[in-house]
Formats: sequence, C-alpha cells, structure tokens
Amino acid sequence: MSVTSPAEREELNRLLIQTGRNDQKAFAELYKRTSSKLFGVCLRMLRDRSAAEEVLQETYTTVWRRAAGFDAAKASAITWLITLSRNKAIDRLRQHREELVDDPSRLEQAVDDQPTPAVDAETSQEYGRLQKCLDALEPQQRDSVREAFFTGATYNELATRSKVPLGTMKSWIRRSLMQLRVCLEK
Amino acid sequence: MNTPADEGNDNLRYAEYVLGVLDADARAAVAQEVQTTDEAAAAVALWQRRLMPLSEQIASVTPAPYVWARIRDDLRLDAPTAAAPRRESKGLWNNLALWHWLGIGATAVAVALLAVVVTLPRENMPATAETSSPKAPAGYMVSTIQQDSGVTGWTATMDLDRARMIVVPAAPSALPSGKAPELWLIPAGGKPISVAMIKRDAPTTIALEPSLLAKLGPTAALAVSVEPVGGSPTGQPTGAVIARGAISGSPETHDHVVRVAAINAAAARKSV
Repeated sequence: MSVTSPAEREELNRLLIQTGRNDQKAFAELYKRTSSKLFGVCLRMLRDRSAAEEVLQETYTTVWRRAAGFDAAKASAITWLITLSRNKAIDRLRQHREELVDDPSRLEQAVDDQPTPAVDAETSQEYGRLQKCLDALEPQQRDSVREAFFTGATYNELATRSKVPLGTMKSWIRRSLMQLRVCLEK
Repeated sequence: MNTPADEGNDNLRYAEYVLGVLDADARAAVAQEVQTTDEAAAAVALWQRRLMPLSEQIASVTPAPYVWARIRDDLRLDAPTAAAPRRESKGLWNNLALWHWLGIGATAVAVALLAVVVTLPRENMPATAETSSPKAPAGYMVSTIQQDSGVTGWTATMDLDRARMIVVPAAPSALPSGKAPELWLIPAGGKPISVAMIKRDAPTTIALEPSLLAKLGPTAALAVSVEPVGGSPTGQPTGAVIARGAISGSPETHDHVVRVAAINAAAARKSV
C-alpha cells in the first residue's frame, strides 16, 4: 500500500478532514491505510515493539482528538500524521534517555539498518528531490542526517555513536541542513 | 513568508527540531514557540515539508490488531461497521435503551425482566420435546453479575429460544489499560467455559452455541475476569475474577427443563 501517489494523498486528506468531523468510519479507514507506515516509523525509532505499539496508540487517539485542527493547505495528511508520530516517539525517547545509554551494539544495529533507497516507482517527486540534495552532501554528514532523522537521537548521542566531538557533530548537521535548504529551493 | 535570506540561526533551530536532534529542554522550547507564534509554526511546517519525504524510506510494519482495539476502547468508539452485529427486526430484544435501563436498575432487574417476559404473548408449550417446534415459546434466564464491592457490574439476560445472551453494563469498575472483561460460564463443579469478551460501556449481544446453552441453569454461574484485550490466552481465566452472578430461571421452571432437554436432544442429533 503506497501513501505516495497524489490520488492516495488526496484521499488521506479527505479521510483526515472527515475524521475531524467525528466520522468514525473515516477514522477507521485512515487507520487502515496509514497505521503500518506510522508503526514502521515508531518501531524504527524506539526499537521495541510494545513501546512502538503504545506510541502508535497514543498517536491515533491524538489524531481523533485533534483532527479538526488539520489544515490541508498547510500540510498533507500523511506529513501531519508522520510528524505527530515522530514527535511522540521522540518525546518518549527523551523521557527514557537514561535507559538509552549508548552501547556499541546499538550503534552497529543502527548502521546495519540504514535503509536502502526505496524503489523509484513507489516514491514521490519530493522524495526524489530530497534524495538528490542528500547525495550532494559529504557521505559522513549525509549519514549523520539520516541517522538523526530515523533514530531521533540527540546531538550528544549522535556524537557518541560516531565517536566525534559534540561540536563536530553539530557543525556537520547544521551545515547539512543549510545546504539542503539551498538545494531544495533551487 | 520566509525567504532563504531571512533564515538565520533561529530558523536552524526549527530545522533541528524537525530533524529531532534537540534535547528535551530545547525541544520543549521550540514546541512552545510553535504553539504561540505564527512565524515559528510556518518555519517548522516548511522544514517538515522538506524533510518528511525521508520517511518514505522506512518500511511499513503492520501493527497487531489489538492496537486498533485499544484505540477504539480508549476513545470509546463504536465497533466498526463490519464487525457490528446484524440489525434484526426492531423489537423488545433490540431496544437497547430498555436493556440499559434494566442494567442500571440492576437490583430490580429480575423482577422487571420477568414482568416483561410474562407479558409477552406466549404459545402453549408442547407436551414433549420431540414435538417442540422452533416457534416454541421462549424461556429466559437472568443473572445479576456483582462485583466484590457489592455494586452490580453487568446484567445478563439469556434468551434460550433465540440462543443468545445480552450483557448490559451497570457500573463496572475501570480496568487497567490493555485489559478487558471476559465473561465465563461456570457449570456446577465444572471448569469455567469462555463465553465472550464483553464491553464496559455498551451492551454486548452474544450468540450461544447449543453446547453452552445446554449448560445454562440455576446450578451454573457467570463470572467476569480481567484478561488481555484479545481474551485469555489459555482458555481459562488468567486474571482476577472481578464479578460473579448466579443464574436464575424464567417463571416456568418446567418450561426450562423441557427447553434444555430439547436443546440437548438437538445437539446430540447434530453430533451423530
């Protein structure tokens, strides 16, 4: 099930708007179409099934309560949903920071899990543009940006994992973000 | 609207927030700004549009079905239409307001229900089980399922003729998240038999198998235990038993004996 085609995006927008009008059927359909994507996002960050299930549950109860505030002119439904689930997952990571003391096995796991680029046919135009801009970054910096996005790690955690000083990690990421912004606005 | 020239260090904070690298305090500060200023909200939205396509690389993973059940339970949503029981002809049985009222006035429920039952038109009971037709008059049984506090949790009404039971919540106490009530039939001297998962906030209608139907009677009891949302994994109660109720029969006891005999006979015929 793809959430990247323009038609599917439109349909998700419609379902989220209907959910905002207390339409339970639309909410159930929205869950059916988006929950596996959001669960993938949570699982990738939290690396724990039951923690990811809890965050997914929290995400959708928030969706039901806040859907009325969704504005399709500002963001697409899928961006809105993924953002919500990422924010909840990151909040949870920060709450449990002391339990996440980095150990080398975690780092290796994170590196092994570097996702391979998805098949072209299944990705959006926006993804293609972003990927091109990421490709233009230094490999080490690109990897740090991707790891930050996928794992929700802090600057400190990223620096520890990559065995570089905190200041170095900050400047890698900040420089990358500035480069991405310029590249994406070309 | 921001142009690249406007986007200084402040804007980078919004990018860092969206990327997810800020620590808890810095994150909270930006989240607060997003709530209070339009500029911050717009800058964050712009970075979300820029970076969120990366999530297309994350593989989808289907969550377990109980996650959706928990969400529905949390939000107290109705069951999805696909799983909802088929609406049958409107009648007394389907009058949920009545059942709910009966559930609330649980101490009076037996009296009230029996009064309802005896005022229903009833045909004459055939003399023997052999000649009993499917249209034979209905027998009802009731049970007030009380919690340890003495407060009624649910009221169960069993319609032997239609082989179903309706369980109406009265004042069931709250359960921990991820737990749900499961209803059991306990035959005299026998092991508990799972009847169904029941709801805390709405009536549950349950179709009764002939084998289960045959075990209903004044010597049997109903009980509710606390189980995982999907039901006991072992087939026997695994959590605390929070409520119990004896089963009492309908006005004509003889009626029951004959009905149950007929059901037993039918079950025996089926299994041959």
